Amino acid sequence: MGRFAGIAVSVIVIAMLVAWWITAPTTIAEADLPAHEADAIAGERIFWAGGCASCHASLVDGKRAKGEDKLRLGGGLELETPFGVFPVPNISPHDEDGIGRWSNLDFVNAMQRGVSPDGRHYYPAFPYTSYARMRTEDVIDLKAFLDTLPPVEGRIAGPDLDFPWSVRRGIGAWKRRYLDSSPVLEIEPADELVERGRELVEGAGHCGECHTARDRFGGLDLARWLAGAPNPEGRGQIPDLTPGSKIVSGWSANDIAYYLESGFTPDFDTVGGTMVAVQENMAMLPADDRAAIAAYLKALPVPTDSSADQ
Amino acid sequence: MIKRTIHLVLASAALSMVSLAVADDDPRHERHELMEDVRDAAKPVGEMLKGEREYDGEVVMASLKTFSDVAKVFGDLFPEGTETGDGTEAAPAIWEDRAGFEASLAQWAEATDAAIAANPATLDDAKPVLGKVFGSCKDCHDTYRIEEE
Repeated sequence: MGRFAGIAVSVIVIAMLVAWWITAPTTIAEADLPAHEADAIAGERIFWAGGCASCHASLVDGKRAKGEDKLRLGGGLELETPFGVFPVPNISPHDEDGIGRWSNLDFVNAMQRGVSPDGRHYYPAFPYTSYARMRTEDVIDLKAFLDTLPPVEGRIAGPDLDFPWSVRRGIGAWKRRYLDSSPVLEIEPADELVERGRELVEGAGHCGECHTARDRFGGLDLARWLAGAPNPEGRGQIPDLTPGSKIVSGWSANDIAYYLESGFTPDFDTVGGTMVAVQENMAMLPADDRAAIAAYLKALPVPTDSSADQ
Repeated sequence: MIKRTIHLVLASAALSMVSLAVADDDPRHERHELMEDVRDAAKPVGEMLKGEREYDGEVVMASLKTFSDVAKVFGDLFPEGTETGDGTEAAPAIWEDRAGFEASLAQWAEATDAAIAANPATLDDAKPVLGKVFGSCKDCHDTYRIEEE
């Protein structure tokens, strides 16, 4: 009997060790950072492509920041999700309340591995599974740009979630399945414009986070990449962007680029809903970037399962 | 022959239903149709701004006239009781902040009338004045329009 108990305990201990190992945060080491001189001006482009301000800018009288206020990144917006409410943190360069003391390595691990400087997993409400696909040089440039912005006081509390979502360690297992820095779309033959568009769409722009349907574990279903999804913030559908879609397939590359620049569809209706903020950020990019995004969308495959089509 | 007659009767019945729908005086329908007129008028002008159509000052002026006419009556089409229903995209903000909505419409009317007064002869002359007109569409929609279900 004693022997069986011993075996049972060993099995449990081994299972716990395996679970501990599976859920452990994995990070990039200092030595693995690319040799790169940070460029704040290049980082501003990444800032707008990423739309950082849409979530992280401090609210003004309870409303979305406009104009210069978009550069005050004190956080505080509450993201409502099926898993609970996630208050958006302060990422201004404030030493105590923001990320003023973070190194480039801290920032890269947060953005591309979803791990905080004290070694804890971030919840994927912060779309690091997209940022994992960015060029690390771009991430370092972005940090340099954020460092030029005004420090904002006010620490934002972490999320208050129900069990089991309250166990951060569990995110490690989720990441093993969904955190992948390899490109979604293979581009053959290599096309410079499409590749630039890929970096923006798959990486910083994190377009897939809304435009791709999720599976039951909340991960993106890459078989339906950018093929539309239910609106995570309420009613309706987020549009399908693939050449198999009912709406956007009829838009030329120039139409897409012009929409991102001006907010007008080819029918001269205006951009609506959550895309308003995205479009306003995209309008801040160089025209070539909008053309690159359009070229990438035109290069997308038609998903075989387009049930999420709108 | 009989089949064809039936088709014709059905078609005209369908047509009259369409015109009935157009002729009713539900403000939700009226404002929707006026916005469609505005969108149709905006399209050729937008295509000029986009560089897809040759600049034509007459077309621009005709479209601006449509905008100006609509801008002057549009605010009257949001009476109490028409906040929801029939696929309206009107935002609750219209009734919560009527003064703000009126001001937003006035901005559109002013930009349009300024563009008419400028009577731009070339695309380069037109761009700054039309930019303000088109910008006013977006500004108003951002606050006073919601996405249709």
